[in-house]
Amino acid sequence: MNVLKVSRWTIAAFVLPCLLLYVGLVFAPIIVSFYNATLNWNGIGVAKHVGLDNFHRMFTNDSVFWPSVRRTFMLAGFSMLVQLPLALFVAILISRFVRRPNFLVSSYFMPVILSVAVIGQLWKTIYNPASQGGMINQILIKLGLGSWTHAWLSEPKVAIYAIIVIGLWQYLGYHILIQFTGIQNIPADIYEAAKIDGAEGFKADRYITLPMIVPIFKISVVLSFIGSLQSFDLIMVTTAGGPAHATDVLASHMYNISILSQKYGYGSAIACFLVVVCLAATVVINLLFNRVEKRYD
Amino acid sequence: MYTTGKKVAGTAMAGFLAVGLAACGSSNNGNNGGDAAASPSGSASSAASASASAPASSAASGEKVTITFQNIYPDPTDPKYNMLHKIVKQYETDHPNVHIELDSLNTDQQKQKLKTQAASNEVPDITIVNPSAQMKPYVDAGLFAPLNEMVEKNGLKDTFQSGILDYYTFDGNLYALPDGNNIALLYYNKALFKQAGIDAPPTTFEDLVADVKKLKEKGIQPMAIGEKDTWTGSFLFMNMLLRTNGGPGFLKDVVDGKKTFEDPAFTGAVDAFEQLVQAGAFQEGATSFDYNAGENLFKTGKAAMYFMGSWATGGIEVSDANKDGNVGVFKFPTVGGKGDPNQFMLAPGSAFAVSKNSKHLPETLDFLNYFMLNYPKEAFAVKGAVGVAQKVDGDYKAAGYSDMAMEVLAMFKDVTGGDISFDNTMNPATSQAHLSSIQNLFVSKEDPAAVAKEHQQAYEDNKE
Repeated sequence: MNVLKVSRWTIAAFVLPCLLLYVGLVFAPIIVSFYNATLNWNGIGVAKHVGLDNFHRMFTNDSVFWPSVRRTFMLAGFSMLVQLPLALFVAILISRFVRRPNFLVSSYFMPVILSVAVIGQLWKTIYNPASQGGMINQILIKLGLGSWTHAWLSEPKVAIYAIIVIGLWQYLGYHILIQFTGIQNIPADIYEAAKIDGAEGFKADRYITLPMIVPIFKISVVLSFIGSLQSFDLIMVTTAGGPAHATDVLASHMYNISILSQKYGYGSAIACFLVVVCLAATVVINLLFNRVEKRYD
Repeated sequence: MYTTGKKVAGTAMAGFLAVGLAACGSSNNGNNGGDAAASPSGSASSAASASASAPASSAASGEKVTITFQNIYPDPTDPKYNMLHKIVKQYETDHPNVHIELDSLNTDQQKQKLKTQAASNEVPDITIVNPSAQMKPYVDAGLFAPLNEMVEKNGLKDTFQSGILDYYTFDGNLYALPDGNNIALLYYNKALFKQAGIDAPPTTFEDLVADVKKLKEKGIQPMAIGEKDTWTGSFLFMNMLLRTNGGPGFLKDVVDGKKTFEDPAFTGAVDAFEQLVQAGAFQEGATSFDYNAGENLFKTGKAAMYFMGSWATGGIEVSDANKDGNVGVFKFPTVGGKGDPNQFMLAPGSAFAVSKNSKHLPETLDFLNYFMLNYPKEAFAVKGAVGVAQKVDGDYKAAGYSDMAMEVLAMFKDVTGGDISFDNTMNPATSQAHLSSIQNLFVSKEDPAAVAKEHQQAYEDNKE
């Protein structure tokens, strides 16, 4: 412990401000939320203790809750199964074939900097019905695929997929950047050595890039999973959870309940569920990756 | 115009947050003083002396007073913005010791900020609330000061339209003063009606549906709506319910246990609403159009009809659609021969309430009294007098109000009664269930009985 050659008190003193902030701004509100979740409270008046009623109702008697859980995991699933592999693939291609990759990576990164409000409005116009000048529908009609047209954001069955596509598009560049950086950090001499041994091209990727990128890939997975669980802004801008809850996810459901329906206690219960799921997911993902990493060590 | 407003609001918001934080900090002291009114603390005694002396004499004593005025007029292109600033400036000139701190937010931000402030008992001196059910939680929590005495001063009470203050009165105590009183009506584009071969606006719902079909055949979008903001569809639905119920008071009957949502009046209204949707009245993708996007379809002449509160008059008046007085208005027609077109969906406006814990209660009341007395006059001057909750003297025609505005004003004179919106009547949780249930009718055809049952269930689940 004494590698730094300073006393423990010094270390404590330097850690303390950050620790206090972290506890005050993260842990304290979480604990307060857990307490609020046991209340029947509209956020303004007098609160009444109802024990675990809110949780009971949430799990057994809320027709919006489980579908919104399902959609939340759909978001995460698509992000991890489609977005991340695609990002890795693009990152590999860029690092292999592009001489000056910075411009390309920056362009992919562009949507990440844009505000979600802007992105939402942009995609709303893209998704609009053809009669309102929507781009996708007009292209479909031009191609003679008129029967494929949809009111993308307002048909209950397709709306959530339409939103998922926006999310995938927006954060693709983010994960490309992370993984591209990861690939750049793999020492070139490993590839050279492999080349001598006859491993080139995709064979080198399979046996060198993939194992070496695992730690970086893990960051991507955790970020995309947690990000998906917390997705809220995009949904608010595009559909506000509509039509009739068809695009509600956990975070938007929580907002609807606590702010619009003024059931602050019940909303807190949903928030607690979200916290628990996030923590559990992080632990599970870490465990999985630890095993994968061990295998390649 | 709207986007610039949003931008300004956005940039301003950052500033307000900072101001808001500062305001929270300072009003904290005020609350402590209020809570510990019995203790001989400095702030408590100063409050006592202030309440003992009339506002006029406190002006003479020169004690510096800052009143925080939370409001929903952040948009400098909105006539109300200038009006607000003008009245405030005038008051500050007359009372040099009083400073009015404006906390201007847009509607949604204000609602949320007030909720947060209320949760920590830090309501600004003057704030904005919505009528009836929406302000009830705040009143129940004892956050507002009664305005009964203040409204009698300088004859302020008599400036209000009769009955309007009832929506802000609880147990005989008046808690807020409204800035507006609107009615719901249909705006229509005369040129587009002509194009579809329709001579006159419909007087029955059946005619309305037939007209929708005629317009549709000609490739004209019959109606515009911004159903992403779910209250818009609900507002229209409630007007149908007002007709099928043969008069106002359906929701009150439900609350009083005289009727349930499974009453034929309700299912009839659902059925009528579905007829309109199935006839293709609303634009494709209506549920992803927000309020402004929906209204813009009508304002730019891309839709033939638009159902909205009379507050939209000012905006439509100056829009492209109303070139050469092209926009007319008509009352919502009878449905199945039932109802009276002179009964309207009423929208008593957002209202000014005063914090009970205000550090400068007498000054705040005095200012609000002055503000409301001058409000109608100033609103008239900036052509914003359509839908003001107070009586306005003045020659509208001579002041340059358009024919459409005159028609709307005439409609106000025909009002014989009506209902207020669902979310102003029912508790928030039931309202949310209702709003999403109606939104669902835009995207799927439901059995009216099932819709009624869903409402009844939500009502019973959330009954207090």
